[in-house]
Amino acid sequence: MRSETEIREQLRTFVRRHAGDVAITDDTALFTLRVLRSVHLPELIILLERLRGAPIDVEQLRMGDFDGIDAMMARFGVPS
Amino acid sequence: MNGPADLARIGLRWDPCGQAGLTGPLLALANDCDRAFRCIASRWRSQEEAYAMTLPASSLAGHLRSFPHQVTFATALDSAEANLAEFADGPVVDKSGAVALTRTAPVTAVLTPAACYHVYHGHQGEQLPAAGYVTTRNTCFRRESDYDPLRRQWSFAMREIVCLGTAEETASFLVEARAAVDHFALLIDLPMDWTPATDPFFRPERHPGHLLQRIQPVKHEATYGGSLALGSANLHHDHFGTAFAITRDGVPASTACLAFGLERWLYALVDRHGPEPDGWPDLLAAAGQVAAR
Repeated sequence: MRSETEIREQLRTFVRRHAGDVAITDDTALFTLRVLRSVHLPELIILLERLRGAPIDVEQLRMGDFDGIDAMMARFGVPS
Repeated sequence: MNGPADLARIGLRWDPCGQAGLTGPLLALANDCDRAFRCIASRWRSQEEAYAMTLPASSLAGHLRSFPHQVTFATALDSAEANLAEFADGPVVDKSGAVALTRTAPVTAVLTPAACYHVYHGHQGEQLPAAGYVTTRNTCFRRESDYDPLRRQWSFAMREIVCLGTAEETASFLVEARAAVDHFALLIDLPMDWTPATDPFFRPERHPGHLLQRIQPVKHEATYGGSLALGSANLHHDHFGTAFAITRDGVPASTACLAFGLERWLYALVDRHGPEPDGWPDLLAAAGQVAAR
């Protein structure tokens, strides 16, 4: 399990790699604004699973879970 | 509750392979339903477009990977004389009812899985000067593990209203479309609820489309009786705009659709209002009110 700071930084790196020149903050609604797209989701989930050291049950995903880095941290930052 | 006998009495001709024939009052109700949906489509001055019952498989690669379990292919025999003779002189159909195929021609066509797919294919390469609204109907084919008359069928009629435009135009369309369905349902006394939904993707656990539908409100179904989806409102973002090079304001168009499953409306209407046609609501009058609003 990484620290929250480490996880956030890795997520920012992931988003920057796919977002191009789009400026983002931790509360940017990444999928609503199409900064990230559906094709990025499987890789993002695998990254989150690795960072938090626990699997994510995709059948438990809820609306808004990936609305931004803040939302991801709130939902997946700590294994449930 | 619709009993098989009641449905048969008012015109259902059910084939257990998952297909429904309609006659008599039920056929008249189906025609009224479709006219009502077309009337609702006129609210957006939708252009009616009619398409064939198959699509080129080459235009559906993503769909084929996502829903291989539901696809029905259009297939034919290889036209070589000897191959046709071998087929004609053979059993043709075996005891189980399966066609005793000889060599088949390359399969290049898919029976329509969703009516709106034709619209994107048909508008390929267009640069839209304004939002476009299209309504189309097709017979759609989806293989299922079980079939239930009017509720879950291999082939069924789907009427769609499609919006092609900017992200704002498609988002606005979906808000209006859902409100129009709500108004229509209220007028004909057919209680329904909108619920977020996902499509039945193959291997959904890591399918990008399934994952997106779980975290973003891109698909909502209008359900009757808690589980029967009579229709759906779908936001595709620029998926089809990109795939079919349709642009609006210089970027790939966003698309959205409102889809009605015709047979399911028949089921719900008969379930709600009974099997006697005298008790059925005036669908066209209700749709007229919705269109005029």
